[in-house]
Amino acid sequence: MGSFVLSKIFPSDLNKIPPFIENIAKKVLSLTGSDNDAFKVKLVLEEAMTNAMRHGNLLNPKLKVFVKISVGKKKIMLQIRDQGKGFNFHKVPDPTNKKRAQQPCGRGIFLMRKFMDEVTFSGKGNKLRLIKKININPA
Amino acid sequence: MGIDISIVEKETGVYLIALKGEINTQTYQALEDKARPTTVKAKAVVFDMAQVNYISSMGLSAIFRIKLAVEEHSGTIALVNMQPKVQLVFDTMKILSPQIFASMEEADDFLDRFLDGVQTGQISPKNLPGKTK
Ligand SMILES: Nc1ncnc2c1ncn2[C@@H]1O[C@H](COP(=O)(O)OP(=O)(O)OP(=O)(O)O)[C@@H](O)[C@H]1O
Ligand SMILES: [Mg+2]
Repeated sequence: MGSFVLSKIFPSDLNKIPPFIENIAKKVLSLTGSDNDAFKVKLVLEEAMTNAMRHGNLLNPKLKVFVKISVGKKKIMLQIRDQGKGFNFHKVPDPTNKKRAQQPCGRGIFLMRKFMDEVTFSGKGNKLRLIKKININPA
Repeated sequence: MGIDISIVEKETGVYLIALKGEINTQTYQALEDKARPTTVKAKAVVFDMAQVNYISSMGLSAIFRIKLAVEEHSGTIALVNMQPKVQLVFDTMKILSPQIFASMEEADDFLDRFLDGVQTGQISPKNLPGKTK
């Protein structure tokens, strides 16, 4: 098994997320042998797809979320796009500062930034690209 | 991929919530719903995380909302036996470290001091006892 590209279109239904990300995590684990990489990719995919469905598409089942996953020899790229209005991605407050640390929400984007090597929003904020460096098992 | 939730009252007002599976987009609501009847009256809630292999930000939100509900009436929460990857998520967010314990003994010790302190008025959810180790 080696590199692959996978594109999938989802309705805005949160229940579609767990089986999909579980499957991707398994692929990443078998390619890299890294439990940690598989865990982080799974988590950021859940965060990104949940945001796209919830904040972007406002859970309107008619609106779609487009996901593209490209795995190369040295990196994995996740692209997530929704059909919502976007948001000001330059102004996401830091959830670790004192005032926010006890708030229930607002941690998804921060986790993406910590667990990935590159996090780039574009367009109105409805397009997200996440990149993580990986080492594919030679075996 | 789902979650199993078991709740027992260890002593009066002290509840142990043992979780098994994932706390994610799909399961966090079940956790909050199942925990609600206990959290409205608990003095303390201990989460046994030994069999939780995944938590996302939605899971963190659920834990925080339960924590806030327990703090409403001057209770507190503790989390024990976290798997390393789940611990990594809490560490990355820099949250709840005074309430995360490696063993049930350490959590019990914390809760004993918390509950004693609440009775004497020296301790509150905003002023937790420190860890002994
Ligand atoms: N695709 C999106 N479209 C519109 N707004 C978004 C999108 N993604 C994120 N946001 C905005 O950015 C904010 C921060 O997102 P983040 O994932 O960090 O936290 P959250 O989703 O509010 O809570 P949590 O992820 O902790 O459950 C959101 O509350 C939302 O306002
Ligand atoms: Mg989010």
